[in-house]
Amino acid sequence: MLEIKNLHVAVDGKDILRGLSLRVDAGEVHAIMGPNGSGKSTLSYVLAGRAGYEITEGSIRYRGKDLAALAPEERAAEGIFLAMQYPVEIPGVTTMMFLKSAINAQRRARGETELDAVAILKAVRKKAATLNVSEEMLKRALNVGFSGGEKKRLEILQMALFEPRLAILDETDSGLDIDALRLVAEGVNSMRAPGRAMLLITHYQRLLDYIVPDRVHVLAKGRIVAEGGKELALELEAKGYEQIIRDAA
Amino acid sequence: MTLALPTRRIEEWKYSDLARVLGDAGFGEDSARALVGPLPHGVEAFSLDEANRPDWVNAHYGKLSTNAVSAVSLAKAQGGIALRVHKNTHVEAPLALDFLGQGHVRALLVLQEGASLTLLERCGGGETRNAGFEIVLGRNARLDHVRVAPNSSAVQVEEISMTLANDAQYRAHFANFGARLSRLELTIALKGEGASVDLSGVSVLSDQSHADITTHVTHEVGQTQSLQLFKNVVGGGAQAVYQGKVTVKPNADGSDSRQTAKALLLGPRAEADLKPELEILADDVKCAHGAAVGDLDADSLFYLKARGIPEKEARHLLLHAFLEDAMACITGPDLRESVRGAVSRALDEVTV
Repeated sequence: MLEIKNLHVAVDGKDILRGLSLRVDAGEVHAIMGPNGSGKSTLSYVLAGRAGYEITEGSIRYRGKDLAALAPEERAAEGIFLAMQYPVEIPGVTTMMFLKSAINAQRRARGETELDAVAILKAVRKKAATLNVSEEMLKRALNVGFSGGEKKRLEILQMALFEPRLAILDETDSGLDIDALRLVAEGVNSMRAPGRAMLLITHYQRLLDYIVPDRVHVLAKGRIVAEGGKELALELEAKGYEQIIRDAA
Repeated sequence: MTLALPTRRIEEWKYSDLARVLGDAGFGEDSARALVGPLPHGVEAFSLDEANRPDWVNAHYGKLSTNAVSAVSLAKAQGGIALRVHKNTHVEAPLALDFLGQGHVRALLVLQEGASLTLLERCGGGETRNAGFEIVLGRNARLDHVRVAPNSSAVQVEEISMTLANDAQYRAHFANFGARLSRLELTIALKGEGASVDLSGVSVLSDQSHADITTHVTHEVGQTQSLQLFKNVVGGGAQAVYQGKVTVKPNADGSDSRQTAKALLLGPRAEADLKPELEILADDVKCAHGAAVGDLDADSLFYLKARGIPEKEARHLLLHAFLEDAMACITGPDLRESVRGAVSRALDEVTV
């Protein structure tokens, strides 16, 4: 599904990722853990195609294609979804209107017929209920006045609606209380499927109590320094990043 | 009295060079027309090209106009229309007023005590025109006004001058799609306690088009309110102008005034001149004003694209969203939808 080889990425001329390699296959859930400044968010942005993140060396292949050649909207239509750490607030666009635009834009790009407002509303309502996203939230301007938990739930709702092949969740646990975390985790777990890969990007082990990964990778100074099964996350929690990074060196 | 057209040397006309675009011919000698839709019960009309003006026309005609261009239309216009809504008459359906043809034209609208009306003003886009429009709102009268000025290659100037008596309300929205030179000047006197105006507008301009909204709001007495919200999207080599002057007279305590003007510039040649201005001569007033010029937010654009929305559509969505709070001020849902539709079509032209 995703194969990253020796990836170097610079932001504003500064090297952030320095030789990162990673392979994620369909049906797998991988966790990328790392301390602040290790390059976690840079990895998520470069996968989603944000401007200003320059690949200086190495490659990213997604389903056999060179990802760098695709615009962000093309990546979305190809099934890449990034749940953002800080979802933006857009006054003047209702959440429902935004969801309709996004769903139909992706369908158009894939050569599928667009859905009418009624069909979209039906699909959204069905999935919104399980994520505790209220009708009132859907009528409000996108993310405006939403609590941290509401914003993250809306990100997961989008993931459920778009049904991506590759979902990247950037610090989805940050700012969530335990009930919200459980709700979000249930939403993510329900999306686990043989044809889908997930990449959980997180600072803390806490999220991994709820979403158990197949593989854990430790990111430090722009490259993967340690890899293992789900037990690596617990080891990290016990020893701390410094110890693990030192052991790996 | 001199009837010379203003030049840029006059501060108020600094951003709208009327004398230059009109050249020696000026507005000419022609008279344009004002047409009104079928008159609802309780509304009367008088055609200003007819003789024997009734008292209610004579009482108000030509009394409020203040600017130099309006003086020209008063001197030269042969025609136009006067409308009166009778006391305590509530007109439900919007009444259409169309300015058509080339040259000078006048209009007068009087709402008697307790009357209410929704006016849809449409400007025929083809011709160069100078309109002077006087509005008198009696006690407790309410006027909802939506003015749509389509894209035009002509020169179109209009002065709206009005007075509001106690508890009268004026709620207006001005949608501008640009002309060779487009100038709308409002001169509003809040003369009675409890009177309020709520002005909003959107301009979507492309190519070399121009749209100027200039307002003068005077709080002559206390307990009066004025709100202004103007949003502009400027592409190509177009120019948006907002000059808003609010004056709070001595002893007009308890006045509340807010004015906001914002513009998004879509390219290096686009221009916005936003000048909110306040003159406060009273002590106990609440006034705020602000202006801002910027570009689309890069984070928002990326967010939409990452959700599969292509660049052009994402920009369109964000520009529409930027204008939305001003359009949301339009009271009637049908009129609001029709302005949104016109704005959406105009945004297709500026988002490439």
